[in-house]
Amino acid sequence: MEPSYECSNLRAEVGSRHGERRLVLDDVSFTVAKPEFVSIMGRSGVGKSTLLRVLAGLHEPSPGSIVRFDGQQVVGPPEGVSLVFQDYTSSLLPWRNVAKNVELPLEGSLGKTERRQRVFEALEMVGLADRADAQPFELSGGMQQRVQLARALASRPTVLLMDEPFGALDALTKAELEDQLLGIFAATKTTVVFVTHDIDEAVYLSDRVLVLDGSPARIAADIRVDCLRPRTQLRTRESAEFLAARHQVYEVIFGTL
Amino acid sequence: MGRFDGLLPRLNWLGVFVMVALAAMWELVVSFEVAALRFLPAPSEIARAAHGEIFEGELVGRTIHTVGVTLLGWGVAAVVGLALGLALGLSPKAYQYSMTSFEVTRAIPPITLVPAALLIFGFSLKMELVLVIFGGVWPILVNTIGGIRSIKPELRDVATMLRLSRIGTVRKLVLPAALPSIVVGLRLALSLCLVLAIVAEIVGNPAGLGNGLISARQSLQPPIMFVYVVAAGLLGVALNAALGLGVRLLLPGGHTLRESP
Amino acid sequence: MRHHPAQSARTGSTRLSEWLRSGPLPGLLPLVVLLVVWELRGTSDSPFFPAPSSWWPALFRRGQGDTILPAVADTVRTFGFGLAAATILGVALGLSVGASKRVGRAAGPTFEFARALPPAAIVPVATLLLGFDETMKVVVVVLAAIWPILLNTSSAVRGLNPTLLETARSLRLSKTRTLFGVLLPSVTPSVILGIRVATPVALVITLLVEYLTAVNGLGALVGDAQRTFQPARVYALIVIAGLLSLIVNAAVRLIEDGVMRRRVGDLR
Repeated sequence: MEPSYECSNLRAEVGSRHGERRLVLDDVSFTVAKPEFVSIMGRSGVGKSTLLRVLAGLHEPSPGSIVRFDGQQVVGPPEGVSLVFQDYTSSLLPWRNVAKNVELPLEGSLGKTERRQRVFEALEMVGLADRADAQPFELSGGMQQRVQLARALASRPTVLLMDEPFGALDALTKAELEDQLLGIFAATKTTVVFVTHDIDEAVYLSDRVLVLDGSPARIAADIRVDCLRPRTQLRTRESAEFLAARHQVYEVIFGTL
Repeated sequence: MGRFDGLLPRLNWLGVFVMVALAAMWELVVSFEVAALRFLPAPSEIARAAHGEIFEGELVGRTIHTVGVTLLGWGVAAVVGLALGLALGLSPKAYQYSMTSFEVTRAIPPITLVPAALLIFGFSLKMELVLVIFGGVWPILVNTIGGIRSIKPELRDVATMLRLSRIGTVRKLVLPAALPSIVVGLRLALSLCLVLAIVAEIVGNPAGLGNGLISARQSLQPPIMFVYVVAAGLLGVALNAALGLGVRLLLPGGHTLRESP
Repeated sequence: MRHHPAQSARTGSTRLSEWLRSGPLPGLLPLVVLLVVWELRGTSDSPFFPAPSSWWPALFRRGQGDTILPAVADTVRTFGFGLAAATILGVALGLSVGASKRVGRAAGPTFEFARALPPAAIVPVATLLLGFDETMKVVVVVLAAIWPILLNTSSAVRGLNPTLLETARSLRLSKTRTLFGVLLPSVTPSVILGIRVATPVALVITLLVEYLTAVNGLGALVGDAQRTFQPARVYALIVIAGLLSLIVNAAVRLIEDGVMRRRVGDLR
């Protein structure tokens, strides 16, 4: 199976162009296969978002880094990759309604009828087909994030990158959206790279959990999650496989307890 | 509303360079003696004319006149505006029975009253002063009233509990609370007073910077005209800076007041 | 809340009397008193304070009545062109100044200097360089009215949420789409606010230029009435100018509300 992402010797710095720069990621190497659900886990500030942005083509890694998507070195946002931002309020266009927001990536490349069809499909997948005419400010946080997800799905990507998408939501909404995401993953077979600081969420959703740790950070562990799919909030989270994977992740991050 | 990047705090070399470069280009363009631009003086001519006006001409005298009238009118406007504003702000009944009138009168831009002022007072210093005072009163009045009326009622309860006298309440509570708004009004009024003074000098009172500008126009001396335009601009900047400094010195913490509402 | 029709009538009339008592009308008292006193004390040919009742007729004396509407049209035209040009230039310049810190620092002092020049002082220079025509009027108006729009646009661009631009990048939107589909709509509220602030400035400066240069328009009419010692006409024209100002400002406010209603949740 051809990998979708291949990273080796990935190094990345953050900071202003001519000011202080800090090495955040050092010698990060991993692959993501198609279709896999991979979580990138780690403490706040360790560099998870930076890593995701490198994959998204928004952040340029240091020279010598190899970041390949579908075999091609990543230079700028690659075709076939969609990114879902954490700050959904600032990512949705407030002057467009839900349908027009979802339509945004399709304008300029598809005809009107096909666009409308795709928008409808995407909204159906996130369960917001009946709110197509609403303005973003009329919707709750969870719904707004679902609109952003629909927008990401509208272009039928091969890979979905998600930057702590449910971090700003309350626990109950979070659980609902996790399940909705799993449903979409199962239906579309899109590869997902999911950044989170929530250990339980990472294990619940993924096939693999990459733990990012250290300063500068590297992949401290690559943990397989053997839970069966389809997963459910209640049964999966009480299963032995879940607890085992969870235990492993905790150990890596907090040391042996 | 905000400002553009200025020359300070860290000396803005790029900005200075751009200004100098523009002046140099201007000098160059004028030297080509294009017919359509025959009245445009070169920066070097303007500089020479400025030197002449300052040391041999009337620039200094005229500036003093304009500054004097502006500050005097502004001062009177401040006293009237504050007094009236206090009266109307503190008394709901007085407010109710007069505010609409003020709103309507305020809607008439002071500049449109210049012709009326000319008719009534003729070409005189009185005309200039009346115009400046009349124009300056409104921002101060409106902002004073606004500042007072926006004081939370809880603060009035505080005054009652502290058993403050009427004057005490005004001194210790009302004025400090309304101060940010009042200062904004004073600032707006100062700019307005300067503009009105200059307009009055252009059309009516033969004195001051405005008149200097018109004289130069009538004797077709473009360099001197430009000198007076720049002088007017610099005066505005200086007055505003002075007011800002005064606010900062007299009212500790006043420098945190916003530049405009 | 449902009311029995008879009850409504009663509530309606108490509501009306309530509004009459505590609404804006009582505030007109000083103005009304002033006008009444003026009317009683003034005569129609007083050189300084002709009675208000003589104002309206003065407009039509000596067959000057039919100059008024064309003059208003001239004023509105200059105002309109001036405001439109100020908006286009202001937004274009504001986008450049806001987008690049370097451009902001380079242009800043020059702009600040130009902004400080009083429009009234610019008029004589403008007539010298540009003559006495519509172009000169519009140029002066633009020079005075552009600043609120420019400043608001540039500060809106500076304060833009970076996530919005990143979204455009991650969606691989073209530069044109990013400019017109994302950047411009997001600064629109600030631009509209700038236009609202610039509107009274543009109108006042239009009248000022007309008054100082007598090219055309209401301002020129007022100047003419003043120079020919027709005080009643002067006052009447001032009232018309005031009404025009009210209408124009109300119109801009309506447009602002119309644009902003579509995005009430946008709290920027």
